[in-house]
Amino acid sequence: MLEDYPKAIITKDGTQVLLRPLKPEDEGRLLKFFRKIPEQERWFLRDDVTDPRVVHEWVEHLDYARVLPLVALNEEEEAIIANLTLHRRPFGAWRHVGRLRIVVDPDYRGQRLGTWMLLDIIRLAMGLGIEKLVAEFVADVETAAIHAAHKLDFFKVATLPEYVKDREGRYHDLLVMIKNLHQDWSDF
Amino acid sequence: MGSDLGAGPSTHGREEVIETPLGPVTIRSHCPPGSFSMLELDEGIGHFAHYSSIIQKLEVFERVASSEGGNVTLALLNGRRIVGYGVCWYPDESERWAALGKLLYEMGALEVSRNFRRLGLAQKIIQLIMEDREFFAQKIAYMKGYSWHWDLDGSGLTIAQYRNMMIHLMKPYGFREYPTNEPNIAIREENLFLARIGERVSQEDRRRFRNLLFGVLED
Repeated sequence: MLEDYPKAIITKDGTQVLLRPLKPEDEGRLLKFFRKIPEQERWFLRDDVTDPRVVHEWVEHLDYARVLPLVALNEEEEAIIANLTLHRRPFGAWRHVGRLRIVVDPDYRGQRLGTWMLLDIIRLAMGLGIEKLVAEFVADVETAAIHAAHKLDFFKVATLPEYVKDREGRYHDLLVMIKNLHQDWSDF
Repeated sequence: MGSDLGAGPSTHGREEVIETPLGPVTIRSHCPPGSFSMLELDEGIGHFAHYSSIIQKLEVFERVASSEGGNVTLALLNGRRIVGYGVCWYPDESERWAALGKLLYEMGALEVSRNFRRLGLAQKIIQLIMEDREFFAQKIAYMKGYSWHWDLDGSGLTIAQYRNMMIHLMKPYGFREYPTNEPNIAIREENLFLARIGERVSQEDRRRFRNLLFGVLED
């Protein structure tokens, strides 16, 4: 399924972008990308992505069968401008479920880049036999990502009230959103 | 045939006979205009509860075969009964894909009768169409996959499985999936846009195609 990459897309403002899986040689680009993400947003990520050791660990142990990191590159600048990861389990009760995480460079938000990446991973997930995609979003913080997910028929299945804390110690709700991938006809 | 983009596919029909448990099936490409009136459609092609064939009348084959660049490839049982077909044409002028003139060429429809599936006929039909190598080397061939045309009931496949089947059917011939914002494709996430860029298509035309996928038209 990965042989169709890189895939070329064009954002709303005409930027030429390539989508492709993360490669070991992207280490420097990925670090640079995460350092552009505002600190208040990075706080909600699962790892300290500005730590070179963390990023090095990721790119050194790429295992697309468990975690597929898809990056968007500004083709002209060869800079990573978005990162989407699809986490899955190869067997057992979770093998039909994929978990998503997406981060977009603030300079490229509002360009439908996140939507294109989500759409691409949805299509890829269909090919992988995944039936449900799950994403978690921090309410009032990841507003643009929630909006993009809504547009692609992710729906909220749970709210974990006052679940995560921001840097100032204030609690925020965590939204769990799910997309059921069509396995059968739906109304059109 | 020449190498300019206006040229049509070779009009020399090719033929291959496949032995099936239901009898020998002849796959014949470039069926000429005037050759369809004596044929009949198999009962497995037509109108069903949740599925309708794209082509249900012989006149459509006649029209395609008569059009510039049109190619009708048929799978025939006993030389007379149509049990499968593949039809190709230049894109309709009302569609986005016509914006690059005759650079793009559409694999318009492909179907095998419900009674003759899983015999490898679809693959043979595509294979015969794609044997026109000189023609396809200069073209961007494409296929639109609208999920509302897929025979899920008849195939017993889910949407995701059907989608994968389409991809795997076309992949050996160099087709790959391309993202596009063309509304009819983009309206449903399972819809497909597959294309194959011929090896002699210039870098400039590749760039124009890439822009076209996202509706960027040039002067």
